[in-house]
Amino acid sequence: MGDKTKTKADSLSMLINNDNVVGHIFAAPFIFGFICFSFIPICMSLYYAFTDYSLGNKVAVFVGLKNFLMLFKDEVFLKSISKTLQYVLIAVPLKLTFALLVAFLLTRKSRMVTFYRSLYYVPSLVGGSVAVALVWKQLFARKGLFNSVLMDLGLKKINWFGSEALAIYPLILMAVWQFGSSMIIFAAGLKEIPTTYYEASEIDGANGFQRFFKITLPCLSPIILYNLVMQTISAFMTFTQAFIITGGGPNNSTMLYALNVYNQAFKYNNMGYACAMSWVMLIVMSLITLVIFRTSKFWVFSESEG
Amino acid sequence: MKKKLVGIMMAATMIVGSLAGCGSQTDSTTANDAQTKDVAEASTKEETAATEDKADDTNSDEPITLRMAWWGSQDRHDKTIAAIELYESLNPNVTIEYEYYSFDDYFTKLKTLVASDEVWDVFQLGGNFPMYLDKIYPLDEFIATGVVDVSKISEANLKTTRETDGTQLGLTNGINTYGIAYDPAIFEEAGAAIPTDDWTWEDYQKAADTITEKLGIFGSSTFLTSDFIAGCSTYIGQQGDLGQYSFFNLDLTGMGFDNPQMLAPFIQMRADMIKKGSYPDAGASAEVTNIENDFLVTGEAAMTWVAVNQFPTIYNVCAEQGRELALAPLPKVVAGGNSGTLIQSSQMLCVSQDSEHKEAAAAFISWFENDVDCNNILQAERGIPANENVREALSASSTKGQQIMYNYVDSVSKNPTPKEYNVLSPDGQDQVQDNYLNYIQQVASGEITAEEAAEKTYADAQAIFK
Repeated sequence: MGDKTKTKADSLSMLINNDNVVGHIFAAPFIFGFICFSFIPICMSLYYAFTDYSLGNKVAVFVGLKNFLMLFKDEVFLKSISKTLQYVLIAVPLKLTFALLVAFLLTRKSRMVTFYRSLYYVPSLVGGSVAVALVWKQLFARKGLFNSVLMDLGLKKINWFGSEALAIYPLILMAVWQFGSSMIIFAAGLKEIPTTYYEASEIDGANGFQRFFKITLPCLSPIILYNLVMQTISAFMTFTQAFIITGGGPNNSTMLYALNVYNQAFKYNNMGYACAMSWVMLIVMSLITLVIFRTSKFWVFSESEG
Repeated sequence: MKKKLVGIMMAATMIVGSLAGCGSQTDSTTANDAQTKDVAEASTKEETAATEDKADDTNSDEPITLRMAWWGSQDRHDKTIAAIELYESLNPNVTIEYEYYSFDDYFTKLKTLVASDEVWDVFQLGGNFPMYLDKIYPLDEFIATGVVDVSKISEANLKTTRETDGTQLGLTNGINTYGIAYDPAIFEEAGAAIPTDDWTWEDYQKAADTITEKLGIFGSSTFLTSDFIAGCSTYIGQQGDLGQYSFFNLDLTGMGFDNPQMLAPFIQMRADMIKKGSYPDAGASAEVTNIENDFLVTGEAAMTWVAVNQFPTIYNVCAEQGRELALAPLPKVVAGGNSGTLIQSSQMLCVSQDSEHKEAAAAFISWFENDVDCNNILQAERGIPANENVREALSASSTKGQQIMYNYVDSVSKNPTPKEYNVLSPDGQDQVQDNYLNYIQQVASGEITAEEAAEKTYADAQAIFK
């Protein structure tokens, strides 16, 4: 009897000390979280996309492709697509340009560099928060800081959030302002470029511009690709700014896609329709990412091929 | 291979274990409940030996936990919590677990609770209650047994929270109606005509335009989403004979009027006012987030739309600035025509179908609406109390702003009203409302005409019923 418990205890400790088992035990909380809070909801949303489900309903009636067909007749949906594209196409390139520029400036060997890098990173830390969005709303309000500066300069004040054409730009500016995380990645990439390239080019008589465009950009292109993909995806999912600052107005000119999905799901109580919209967004985003990857072979430089 | 299998099994058991962990919690509480029940029964048995008929009463000493939720402003949260604490001190066996939210969050939460059959024992519902009918446990049986006391609530007030078939769904938290709050001093300064009891939308527009021209401020502050109530529900009801038209029909199965163009003049007026600057555009409107920072309160507008329970609050704020606000009825389509203003329930408290203590929940609701001490704490913040005694007690100690509100509601309740009317909103109205507000902006920017906007709004509303 005693022997048996001993062997049992032995085999148990063997089992627990086994590397794979330990790994799985430590991964279990994540696996559990992923399955319960991501995987199952994702699968269910795919099912709900084909139903008329709404929060609070216990039965979801299967309606086939109706939700998807309705999308193309929905004025707000079409407007939200074009506005989201406008947002992404302006915000992402601007943000990456700024990130690269600042990262480039901060490669100089100076003691203050780390300090500045942290400083520029701060907006990204607080960026997604509601508080910053509220500050932004006040800055661009009719009597906000920007307008008082304009008035002090003797210019006319601008009704930022009252104008359909202008309302989206404060939101874009807010996204651009949060270039910190791309900047850090660019900075790391810049460090990886061998200094010998620059030395050689200097001997050949290349100026600063030539060095930047002929050496820095090509060597950095894999990192640009990474940043481009990540930022495009996150720009498509922008929600907080539109929700807090403008609520989608005026006349839906800042109705970003994610906000529209939220409205349909929780405000108008059309969960099935909102699920369909989310899946359309997934397809659109995958396509765009695919296009970026396909075109990458024309502009991304990899040393192994070169 | 074996290792992997073991690993997966371990992971699986962990997941199952934690799931079981979640599950067992409820098990243990039910076990606890059962235990306390046993104890209670045991003590009942002992007592029944002494007094035979007291079984029911000992039952009421059993600890009861009621869950309750509401939406509202911070002011309402503070007052309601104070009232709940008073109830708990009077009924030591009752514990009330409360949750409070903003309007939107409240309904998001409610919808998830409806889906999981766990709606709070006592919950607050407004004019959108038809969506939640399945979850409301009617009060009729408790009124019959006397648990819920309606002796001091008039028939008309009870009717505000009754189904068309006569089922009493809940008790109203307060009677409410709409009005226009304004600052007479600004009107005088600009030389605009002061609102009368019989003013029209034309007068309203003229006054607003004059104020904007003379003083450079907004004539009228934003009505926010209530512009839908003003331009659709009220404006339609004001046309034709009394009770001839309403936006939705009485049983919420279709439209209550046939000609979309009946909406057009209001839309045109609104768009003109936005263009002129006498009504805030979308950007300015977005700066107003609640009644306390409305442009009327900040002095940037001369009048605004209020649900009258909001009036005392802004009256007090403006009084601190040395301004005195007044309350005017809603403008009409034609002078001497229908007022279109109806007395309605601001919200009601209901007992939920999912409740395990329906009777205790109903008893709480009855106390909440009828008790004078409780309502002295609540201060009619949810609307004017339906109970006569409570109203008397409150008006005896009322502030000037509250006095104006009481007088206004009294005068509105004397207006001729249609025999039957319905102020409820069908599921889907939010989307119609948002689109309508967008169409007004499109008219203001010249994208579409008011007639097209009217057609589109009508089509949107009709689409709810398809």
